Amino acid sequence: MSFQDILLQQLANGLILGSFYALVALGYTMVYGIIKLLNFAHGDLYMLGAFIGFVVLSFLSAFLGDSWTGILCSMVLSMIAVGLLGVLIQRVAYQPMLSAPRLSILITALAVSMILANLVMALTDGEYLAFSTDLGYDGLELGNVFITYTQMVLVGAAAVLMIALYLFVHKTMYGKAMRAIAIDQDACRLMGINVNRIIALTFFIGTSLAASAGIMAGTYYGSIHFFMGFVVGLKAFTSAVIGGIGSIPGAMLGGLLLGLLESYGTQIPFIGTEWKDVFSFGILILLLVFKPTGILGKTEIERM
Amino acid sequence: MRKSLLVSTVCGVAAGMLLFGQVHAADLKIGIMIPTTGSEATSGKDMENAIKLAAKEINEGGGVLGMNIVTMTGDDACDPQQGTAAANKLVSADVAAVVGGYCSGATLPTLKIYGDANVPFVICAANSTKLIDANMGNAFQINSTGFDQVNTAVELFEKKGIQKIALIHQGDGYSEDLAKLTREKWTAMGKEVVAYEVVNKGEQDQSALVTRIKSKAPDAVFWTAYYADGALVIKQLRQAGYRDLIAVGDGSNSPKLLEIAGKAAEGVYCFSNPTVEYLPAAKEFHAKYKQTFNQEPDAYAALAYDGMNLMADAITRAGSTDKDAIKKALAETSGFTGIAGPISFTDKNTLARSNFVTLIAKDGKWTLAE
Repeated sequence: MSFQDILLQQLANGLILGSFYALVALGYTMVYGIIKLLNFAHGDLYMLGAFIGFVVLSFLSAFLGDSWTGILCSMVLSMIAVGLLGVLIQRVAYQPMLSAPRLSILITALAVSMILANLVMALTDGEYLAFSTDLGYDGLELGNVFITYTQMVLVGAAAVLMIALYLFVHKTMYGKAMRAIAIDQDACRLMGINVNRIIALTFFIGTSLAASAGIMAGTYYGSIHFFMGFVVGLKAFTSAVIGGIGSIPGAMLGGLLLGLLESYGTQIPFIGTEWKDVFSFGILILLLVFKPTGILGKTEIERM
Repeated sequence: MRKSLLVSTVCGVAAGMLLFGQVHAADLKIGIMIPTTGSEATSGKDMENAIKLAAKEINEGGGVLGMNIVTMTGDDACDPQQGTAAANKLVSADVAAVVGGYCSGATLPTLKIYGDANVPFVICAANSTKLIDANMGNAFQINSTGFDQVNTAVELFEKKGIQKIALIHQGDGYSEDLAKLTREKWTAMGKEVVAYEVVNKGEQDQSALVTRIKSKAPDAVFWTAYYADGALVIKQLRQAGYRDLIAVGDGSNSPKLLEIAGKAAEGVYCFSNPTVEYLPAAKEFHAKYKQTFNQEPDAYAALAYDGMNLMADAITRAGSTDKDAIKKALAETSGFTGIAGPISFTDKNTLARSNFVTLIAKDGKWTLAE
């Protein structure tokens, strides 16, 4: 492979990785935007998305086979299930803590994260589960660069979801209400906006996006385990901070940027792939020191 | 008449008692040390079964030097303290020899006890290199030490005409040592290691690694770590269009690897301990074991079976149960063919060859490679 080949191949790889980060980062940023909560359980909802998708898919494959239809159906069902779970978590764990000091709700989020991860660990005995889908290895070969159709579909699906979200937030009444709540909750209440319902909706959308990333990762990589959400959760958080936490386009940009940074960073000679996480978190530290508001963040940011 | 009847009866009974007494005195007591309780109990009991099966067959065939083998089990529970207790129990029961040893950790402290009592000990499964240094000359390891698979791996690469290899490990002691030893051996042969990579555990996206490997264009990739991440590496290498040889170490010897990697795993090579299912010579043993115990033999059944047979063979060759004679006979073993392959020893009492077998993934299953 020539230098250009490596650059091009890693562009593709970085975009795929970045799409996953971006989808998870969106939930982080939306939740932070609306109730100023860093939902550390978000990575575990990504993991749950993969597991619920796995269960649904094993059930559906009896009727539909391991086809794209089956994957799509299980993705939608898993998104709805995890979305509802997200709302439930918000109602049970976060709602009562909203008026408590910020730190208490942050610790609650950590607790939720541990409960979810350990629950899945107990249910699966900590085993790796294998997705039976084999999406095939056909793809485009450009010289030495190889991109499978599956990879293109994944990036495409992520793009569709992100565009849909952007349109929803900017073109609908619900989206407008979300943005309004991010600015001033009390004023929204006075204007007759059902704040609790909109917060629930935000959780639903945020967590179902994470679930979609989870099941995409599950079908793409082929194996899932209870701990898979941990690092992705941290990377998504990093993406959200890079883009400017609270900003939706920021989360998308941050995710893609982080994916590309990792995939190029690990190609530097004499620095092995084991340094991948060092890149991400090193950048997070630098950013927090020099530009804590992120790329698209302003000091007095319009959240969402 | 009456008197002679009485005499003959008395004589008959006396002779019978004498004979019976002789048969009783001619028992050959062999100790079995394995874990029958605790986390490793399943494997331990499986080895015990295999050893007892071997003993039964030997007895049916006339025993050893006319003696009948009786076994006595000491449970080491895969624990150093329990192992010490088990070894003391066997030694004070005055066993002629000991067969067994599953957990290296539990076997290690017993070597001194058996050594002091000068009891010949065939270690069937435990294969830590630490056992070599603790050996007082009376213990014999019939399982390859973990890193013998380097030889098996290099042999395979040579046979396939490979020049450039890529090694990937995960930074833990086992996989790193295996990769390092392979690199040393390969470069010593004047061949090239084009990539030597480390990846983090639990990492799902291996695309960066795959690009690095592909850009170096190796003829073979050797993954020395475990199955869960190995499956992802294999899958992503194949997805990226890498079509040359892939081999994985025994840490990846799991059906789960094939399940996760799916079609991508077809044709992948794997190195494995000699387990019954992959040994052509073990077919008869396999059937007998299943018939006797109504279950499938586990990973070390074949080695345990060989261990007992080797011990019986050595005692026969020694011509007595004198401990030094048995030790000498064991050390001189050559051309003993067990179901897991031929056995002979190095001057350190370890197996003289690598007993790792090479497997290939075919139709979603590991099968013996030719």
